[in-house]
Amino acid sequence: MDVWQQLIFLLGGVPATLSISIISFLIGIAVGLPLAFIRVYEKEISFVVDAYEKLWRGIPEIVLMLFFFFGLGPYFPFPFGSAFFVACFVLGLRSAANQSLIYRGAIHGVGDEQMIAGISVGFSKWSAIRHIMVPQVFTYSTPGLGSEYALLIKDSAYAYVLGSISEMMKRITDLRYMAGDVIGPYVLGAILYIALTFPIAFALDRWGNKRKKKIGL
Amino acid sequence: MTDYVMEAKNVYKSYCIKGEEKEESKIVEAVKDVSLQIRKGDIKLIFGPSGSGKSTFLRCMAMLDIPDKGEIYLGDECLTAKGVDLNKARARIGFVFQHIYLFRHLTALGNVELALRQVLKLPKAEARKRAMDALAEVKITECATKYPSQMSGGQAQRVGIARAIARNPDIILLDEPTSALDPELTGEVIDTLRDLAKEGTTMLIVSHEMPFAKEVAEEMIFYDEGHVVETGPPSLFFNAPNTDRAKQFMTRIINRTTRE
Repeated sequence: MDVWQQLIFLLGGVPATLSISIISFLIGIAVGLPLAFIRVYEKEISFVVDAYEKLWRGIPEIVLMLFFFFGLGPYFPFPFGSAFFVACFVLGLRSAANQSLIYRGAIHGVGDEQMIAGISVGFSKWSAIRHIMVPQVFTYSTPGLGSEYALLIKDSAYAYVLGSISEMMKRITDLRYMAGDVIGPYVLGAILYIALTFPIAFALDRWGNKRKKKIGL
Repeated sequence: MTDYVMEAKNVYKSYCIKGEEKEESKIVEAVKDVSLQIRKGDIKLIFGPSGSGKSTFLRCMAMLDIPDKGEIYLGDECLTAKGVDLNKARARIGFVFQHIYLFRHLTALGNVELALRQVLKLPKAEARKRAMDALAEVKITECATKYPSQMSGGQAQRVGIARAIARNPDIILLDEPTSALDPELTGEVIDTLRDLAKEGTTMLIVSHEMPFAKEVAEEMIFYDEGHVVETGPPSLFFNAPNTDRAKQFMTRIINRTTRE
């Protein structure tokens, strides 16, 4: 197999790698954002968020994936029998723990005054959060969110251990045996991973900086 | 039915300033047994040394700080009672902040419109119209599409006032609306407030703008160390206040104003 054939074979793994990372990233937003606000504004139950963060950040994702897929999968084939689901589930909820930390810093950066101003015009706490804090918190979080996304692209490679998802790591390994070449597949794979992470992280960072300038954050 | 738009009855509020060490923490009694009544169309001005608790009292009136003791009434409704919908009440109170606190991610128009759309749930066209009317009232329609970071302090504060009046609140509370501005920018904000006064807007203002006070206030309230020391019309304070403390304070503040 020449380099181009190898590259084309590896490119076949891009859709799975991208969909695992993007779905996990979205799960991370959907779960992490509320967690961060609960942590800051609902003091009585903030310990739950602390525990959640420690648990998901403290256990290697490879352990979690193997546990949910091979441990729970046989007993709950729906949903844990699906390798793709388990990969997104584990990476998404781990990302939520990371993102919760990122957003928490951003909430403090945006400042309590914005909340108070929102309350003063008649918003409830949670609608002020929705209409006033969330849009600013996203802008504030951009460099952190960029590296979180890059982390997810890389960590999607753990899905390899589940065996049945044709993402890039799986394709690299398959290629090793098909091509009888060890160096080529890894070098090509490394280049593809970089190509998937940096442009988006960079674009997100640029967008955030522009927006920050505009709103004076 | 009460005659008062707003009333404070024996309000107390203290807070804790945390120091590095436990011994350095101290409790500040910012509001001690303060009562106040405001009728429709009244303009009252609270003034006094900084750190005396005026702002805390004003925030208690808007229930942005919850009083430790005492009652706050908005019309007939007791805001300090249990189970009151405070968000609904706050929608009927306009609040203008010393440091302005415009929503940074929204334009001037967006700032004024947001509560009309999302709190009062007005239809889009009507909210837009009322927001533009409010901006016109403070003479700042040219900034409608600007973000707060692109405005001067005076412009931003006028948008802050527009945000407070757009809902047609029963009363507007203003917490030192000019004291965070550069001196040359206070004039435009004062002009705006003068216009509101002419229209009969009910206002409770914390401010040290003495010429303005003399001109528009029905009653001035001298506030020091957490309570009301003396109240009376501006003529009282500008001629001969009864208490020594008010006398001292007036002398100092009038000297300062003439020096400027």
